[in-house]
Amino acid sequence: MKDEVNQLKSRRGYITMVLISVVLGLMIAVQFKVTQGSPTDFTRRTQDVVAELKQVKEERDNLKNELDELNFNFNKIVSGKNESQDALLSELSKARKASGLIAVKGPGVIVVLNDSSRSIKPGDDPNLYLIHDEDLLKVINELRAAGAEAISINGQRMLATSEIRCAGPTIQVNGNRIAPPFAISAIGDVGLLESSLRMKGGVLENLEFWGISTNLDKPKEVIIPAYLGTIKFKFAAPIEGE
Amino acid sequence: MAWFLVLLGVLAGAFIGMNSPLVIPAIYAKYMSVAILAALDSVLGGLRTSMEDKFDNLVFITGFFSNALLAALLAYLGDHLGVELYMAAIVAFGVRIFQNLAIIRRYLLKK
Repeated sequence: MKDEVNQLKSRRGYITMVLISVVLGLMIAVQFKVTQGSPTDFTRRTQDVVAELKQVKEERDNLKNELDELNFNFNKIVSGKNESQDALLSELSKARKASGLIAVKGPGVIVVLNDSSRSIKPGDDPNLYLIHDEDLLKVINELRAAGAEAISINGQRMLATSEIRCAGPTIQVNGNRIAPPFAISAIGDVGLLESSLRMKGGVLENLEFWGISTNLDKPKEVIIPAYLGTIKFKFAAPIEGE
Repeated sequence: MAWFLVLLGVLAGAFIGMNSPLVIPAIYAKYMSVAILAALDSVLGGLRTSMEDKFDNLVFITGFFSNALLAALLAYLGDHLGVELYMAAIVAFGVRIFQNLAIIRRYLLKK
């Protein structure tokens, strides 16, 4: 009798043991699949992102086309001018030049800045060997002080509202992220621009001290692209009668 | 006899798992791995007790689930506390797995 009970008990024990081992095997298999499958999951995610990127690019191209069309219409309307509009148009062209909405060319300088290639000594702050937003701001400020009429950084036209801001490893200009090397183009009096940058204790000398490579080029003609974004005034309204 | 059943069960479970669409999110993979370790310990412990003729069904089943759950819970808690608490589970269960294995081996050799 006792034997029978024992046998029954052990049989039930076997059943649970088998069931539990099935669960264990299932867990192992699922885990195995997850760890094995993660690369494919990863690629799937990449594919998703790529598809999204493509879609966004398409959207951008469409918007660009639309912009071109609108610009074309605008120019058509503008070119159908009559005598009375002349003054207005010259005023408009001046305003557009000043606001950075059209590409301009002229004599000027191109300064190319790149991060220091010098090896960092132990205990040194590596930040000192990188170009920061402040460095770019100083260069831009110097150029403006020297009478630069139009400035761009890596093709980003500097407007009155343009920001130069640290954005992690990159620098944000006009909402776009740019990375070194930074090419700063400026149109203005070449001699004045160069001497203002190269003055003793000036910006370039200070940057060169940290091994940041600076290269000042004076081509015959510097082309500065137009601002490609949109300008919206949400808060500022003109004051009537001024 | 018992170890043969366990092996068969694990293989059957693995077969089912491999052929079923069952997946868990990759974020939970860590918890699952600790839970697997705990489950492995429980199964080996059950095997050992069955060889010692001390097998208790209820102890075995509750041990399996409570160990697996506690291990996963430890990993989760550790994640949120910033301490790698799941290491404790891994070490504890790892040691026990080897101990159980050693005892099982002795029983098999003695037989």
